[in-house]
Amino acid sequence: MTATTDRAPSGRRTAVAFGKGAAVAAVLLFTLFPAYFMLSSALSRRSGSGTDALFPADPTLDHFVGVFTRGGFLTYLGNSLFVALLTVVGSSLLALFAAVAVARFRFRLRTTVLVMVLVIQMVPLEALVISLFLLARDLNMLNSLWGLALVYVALSLPFAIWMLRGFVAAVPAEVEEAAYIDGASWGRMFWSVLFPLVAPGLVATSIFSFITAWNEFILALTFMNDGEKYTVAVGLRQFFGQNTTDWGAVMAASTIITLPVMAFFLFVQRGLVSGLVSGAVKG
Amino acid sequence: MARPVLTRPAAPAAGPGGPRPAPSRRLSARTRRLVRPWALLAPALLAIGVLLMYPLARVVWLSFQDYGLDNVVSGQPDYNGLDNYVELLTDPYLWTVALPNTAVFAVFAVGGTVVLGTLIALLLRSLSPLWRTVVTGCIMVAWAMPAVTSTYVWIWIFDVDRGLVFQALHALGLIGPEGFNWFTERLTFYAIVTLNIVHHGFPFVAVTVLAGLLTIPRELHEAALLDGANAWQRFWRVTVPTIRPVFAVVTILSTIWDFKVFAQVYLMPGGAGSNAEVLNFGVWSYVRSFSQQSYGLGSAIAVLLTLMLLAITIVYLRALFRDEELR
Repeated sequence: MTATTDRAPSGRRTAVAFGKGAAVAAVLLFTLFPAYFMLSSALSRRSGSGTDALFPADPTLDHFVGVFTRGGFLTYLGNSLFVALLTVVGSSLLALFAAVAVARFRFRLRTTVLVMVLVIQMVPLEALVISLFLLARDLNMLNSLWGLALVYVALSLPFAIWMLRGFVAAVPAEVEEAAYIDGASWGRMFWSVLFPLVAPGLVATSIFSFITAWNEFILALTFMNDGEKYTVAVGLRQFFGQNTTDWGAVMAASTIITLPVMAFFLFVQRGLVSGLVSGAVKG
Repeated sequence: MARPVLTRPAAPAAGPGGPRPAPSRRLSARTRRLVRPWALLAPALLAIGVLLMYPLARVVWLSFQDYGLDNVVSGQPDYNGLDNYVELLTDPYLWTVALPNTAVFAVFAVGGTVVLGTLIALLLRSLSPLWRTVVTGCIMVAWAMPAVTSTYVWIWIFDVDRGLVFQALHALGLIGPEGFNWFTERLTFYAIVTLNIVHHGFPFVAVTVLAGLLTIPRELHEAALLDGANAWQRFWRVTVPTIRPVFAVVTILSTIWDFKVFAQVYLMPGGAGSNAEVLNFGVWSYVRSFSQQSYGLGSAIAVLLTLMLLAITIVYLRALFRDEELR
């Protein structure tokens, strides 16, 4: 891992390389273990005990089949998907407009708006859930997936604005000016020039909004009393028995819930790493 | 439409320069420039206002009321002034259980997250690009685990009768066959919560600090090396001061997140209210409101939590953010 090609490897160098290798191994073990254990428990035929589940001798997909056929897990998945997609569409659009406003315009109260967006993120959901519950109850929006999505749009907005603001600011003003010189109106410039350049950032923020909606627990728990309307985060509790827990089923369902989030995370990470603006400046 | 005719002759006379665009067009463009940012902001501000700010104001308002199930049904408020706050602040439960479970836990969780994240960022910097990508990808897996599922995995690992930890300790002869219930004791309960939170939170710190580390000019380290600084001194004298804002951001965000931990406590055995010893502010507020139908008191707890977070946010913003960073 270290560059020891052109110099004679001294004892110290080998020790450093060895230490680094051990550190990397420890990091990988710590970071991957829960995910691995979740998967191995889901795949093991007898997940009655932790050690049996650690190295499944006889892997099986029974638990996954059981999760899909028994209980309303498919309904929960559908509900979560619906709510998450509504959230993504709503929050991306609103956040893009707001991000352009704070990144491209100098106006009074601009700093106030930015600070407010930053500060509002620290408000705990536990403080909002009581009045949101009463509000939803008054508006007959309890057990409504649309109502839940609406709240998630608001929840994911501050972070989305904050993040997109960076992407918009990274687009050089010269690109915009060039569009004006070519005779484009502001609207034309927005959709034909700014929008494509910010698109990678929009993908990243969409994914974060999706994950917010997909993972959210406390509001879904409070709003959704009807089993038909559970999202996956809440529906997972259905797999817990009164006295004993079928850990194989719980872990299989957890794996299914985790997979889309994980795929999206790896996707975002790539997008973020591969220099988002470099293409724009070259063009 | 008559105005351009009237004003056009005046403009060249007033302006010392050459020909200018028609003032009316300039004026409307200026108005548009003034209105456009607010038009763009309006939908987002409306959503934030109605769904975040208004509920926050209402929870403050509720905290001055005795709001129970009958109030929910009738919609009639029952003001009791500061009674809820007096009741809470004179309750030893707040000082001996809920506050330590929130604040002391947050200190350990944030400390663990930032230290581990920074160490791993330093490790990542020293790796070759290929290995850096591989390890970063694996770290993302921990970050991507939803709170709900990762909590269930940790519960399963620490399961009293059949869990991996029990079986390992039993095989080593450290505990008897009756096992040990990690979830009833407050300390071990929060040790598991801390493990869960640090495991979930360190990737963000590692990736952000690594991004900061990579921006530090190599010359700075070389100059320090020439001056005879060792690795420890270079870290504290060169690295830390240069990327102080990065540390500020990861510490602020981790502190805020760790103060409002909910699912990771609520879903643990006993965490939903049956074990009063292990509740933190957020769960306490929720249990008081929704399990015991005492919405006014629950709101007061939530307001106290929000005030703590607000204080932290302000202290950090003032101490660590430079004004320029918001411009």
